Amino acid sequence: MTMLSRVAERVYWMARYIERAEDTARLVAAYNHLIMDIPRGSEPSWEILVRILDAETVFDEWFNVRNEQNVLRLLMGEVDAPCSIPYAVKSARENVRTTRDVLPDEVWELVNELHLYSAEAAEKSVGRRNRQAYLEQIIQRTQVINGVLRSTLCRDHSYRFIKLGQLLERADMTTRIIDVGASDILERETAGQGIDHLLWGTLLKSLSALGAYRRLIEPQVEKNAAVNFVFMEATFPRSVRFCIRELKPELAELSNAKDAQRAIERIRRKLRGFEAEQFDQAELHVYIDELQLLINGLHQSIRDTWFISDHG
Amino acid sequence: MSKRWKSYRAGDYYDELIIAKGSPRQVARPAVKLLGELAEDDLEARRAAAELAIREMGISFTVYTEAGNIDRAWPFDLIPRVITAREWTSVRRGLEQRSRALNMFINDVYNKQKIFADGVVPAETVLESSNFKEQCVGASPRFGVWAHICGSDLIRNRDGHFYVLEDNLRVPSGVSYMVENREITKRVLPEIFQNYSILPVDDYPSQLYRTLAALSPRERKRPVIVVLTPGIYNSAYFEHAFLAQGMGAELVEGADLFVQDDDCVYMRTVDGPVRVDVIYRRIDEDFMDPEAFREDSVLGVAGLMRAWHAGNVAIANAPGSGVADDKVVYAFVPDMIRYYLNEKPLIRSVPTYLCMREKDREYVLENIADLVVKPANESGGYGIMVGPHADKATHRKFARLIEKDPRNYIAQPTLALSTAPTFIGEDIKPRHLDLRPFILQSRDTWVTPGGLTRVAMVEGSLVVNSSQGGGSKDTWIVEGRL
Repeated sequence: MTMLSRVAERVYWMARYIERAEDTARLVAAYNHLIMDIPRGSEPSWEILVRILDAETVFDEWFNVRNEQNVLRLLMGEVDAPCSIPYAVKSARENVRTTRDVLPDEVWELVNELHLYSAEAAEKSVGRRNRQAYLEQIIQRTQVINGVLRSTLCRDHSYRFIKLGQLLERADMTTRIIDVGASDILERETAGQGIDHLLWGTLLKSLSALGAYRRLIEPQVEKNAAVNFVFMEATFPRSVRFCIRELKPELAELSNAKDAQRAIERIRRKLRGFEAEQFDQAELHVYIDELQLLINGLHQSIRDTWFISDHG
Repeated sequence: MSKRWKSYRAGDYYDELIIAKGSPRQVARPAVKLLGELAEDDLEARRAAAELAIREMGISFTVYTEAGNIDRAWPFDLIPRVITAREWTSVRRGLEQRSRALNMFINDVYNKQKIFADGVVPAETVLESSNFKEQCVGASPRFGVWAHICGSDLIRNRDGHFYVLEDNLRVPSGVSYMVENREITKRVLPEIFQNYSILPVDDYPSQLYRTLAALSPRERKRPVIVVLTPGIYNSAYFEHAFLAQGMGAELVEGADLFVQDDDCVYMRTVDGPVRVDVIYRRIDEDFMDPEAFREDSVLGVAGLMRAWHAGNVAIANAPGSGVADDKVVYAFVPDMIRYYLNEKPLIRSVPTYLCMREKDREYVLENIADLVVKPANESGGYGIMVGPHADKATHRKFARLIEKDPRNYIAQPTLALSTAPTFIGEDIKPRHLDLRPFILQSRDTWVTPGGLTRVAMVEGSLVVNSSQGGGSKDTWIVEGRL
């Protein structure tokens, strides 16, 4: 069974938006925890979330003061802000709405319910009291959707493009979180030695990597080991290396995959031998920048090969 | 029985569930009993559950307004409509017969035109209609069938008989709502199924698949079938997706298809071009192919008609099928049945006055206040005048319209549409309804068990179209007596 190029593009974006909603919810939830653990005055600013999501311009369009309330209103409360959770969910829904025929029935219902929930509960969940429950709902519901996809969708092209979208988005998000998170923590290095472990732990937690890190590496979170872990750990499903490796067999099933496979090779070469110890903060930032460009290059070759098609 | 049901009075019409004295018809008794025994808050909970199910299942339709397109939740009434299996069998036979005759008529009109030569239908009434498409002359679709999917609107008159009000042969919609209405009832009133054996309706997509697959020009185990939609902004998009999914077919837009020099139709896929065998088109033929019809269409596929004439692709319904759902042609359907099949019509048609005939026109103009006047070519309930409900100025306006363009108007007696108990706020009131069954035809003929019941939600109103605020009911064909 083949697949329409237009449909492939839409399921790919559906998967990216679902993943984005989940990752954003994890990120906000992790920071929300952290804020309560840290003594007043030395907590990291909420602004970092805006920077991770590359949403400075959008933020300035909507708000003036970069405080907790406004940052969370932007990321959770504004359905029309392109970096918000409800926006990602709405976009996922729009893409499912036009591809319902290739997806299991439950997926449409679940995404639709998620959309209704995320839009309705968003406003009143900005405050600290309901915030965590809202974020947990988003995470759980997106995971249910992924579970249904994994357990009911045939391993055909629709599954393939969903996986491409999901893995690409995840790799992209992981690099963003490390990039901004590392610079934030390192800039305050002199400020509070005592809480660094906590901050790095939070970073891992926002990637759901904390438990795995503790089991595989050590209970105390240390910077270089943490960065190595989320970039390179071969067994951890959210590490950049893992995502890229998983993309490969999916591409192998598609026709005309040469360009995309080359793009993957470039990313693998870039990752090969990565060790956080080799970089200082500025160098790490440059490295991640280059990596992100390569990931984006992969996205573009997927788009050019399978989504935009003329006769043939 | 609760107060609500006790105070229910059917008006001076045939009521589907309740007879004049206020007691339920035998076949409806278990349903009325169950609904009547539900405690107030339980009933409210069920209605809320139905609304929630509709929202969560995303059953919607689009309404076009000046302020833009609105995606509205599907209007569903909890109280089902119940029809006995025995009664339905005779309706079904009537519809099968009608569909056969209509298809023979369409095939005749675009080919030998024997029915004109034999003087049964005047040639000019057909050839001058805007529904007659020059571009289709000489085509010979498989099995001689043009209208593979027909949605006929039936009403039950005061005499208790079903009448065909019109046949929709172009792109009839509503069948997905028939299936979903049953799904909702199953979710919110599961107990009710213990007391009835109701004919299932969710078989429709596979019947449609069978009907379409039989049309494939290539002999293949699984022909490539696509559903061609105008896109997400079409009012019936929900249904297009529903049917594509139900058939395991691709849902395509015009831009996904193209016709190559070999006069075959292909779709653009991630594996390159793939040839298409059957197109279930849900776009109007005027927008189907800019080469053959409207040049300005961006929804269509250039060259589609070429491919169809070459026999390389089947299109359902075939372009040009609309020639038989003209309201003037409607008046001749009983004659067609006698002419082509040599049978007596098994289902009633509504007596129809053709304003193009001088004698009919005189009668219509004299009695306009008692008649329903319809333009021959509109659908969706637009442009209709219901004489008894209109004021004098409107009567005069329509009289002028008729005199100016008699070919374009027909008139029928006002029918007493049957009613059924319907939730209106907290109360249960009688509301008028119709019924749209769907008839599938290719190698053989199949009729949906029941169909989509549409309800006019405004007291006394006969307008059932969902685009104009109509509601709907689950429709049951059950064993039992009236």
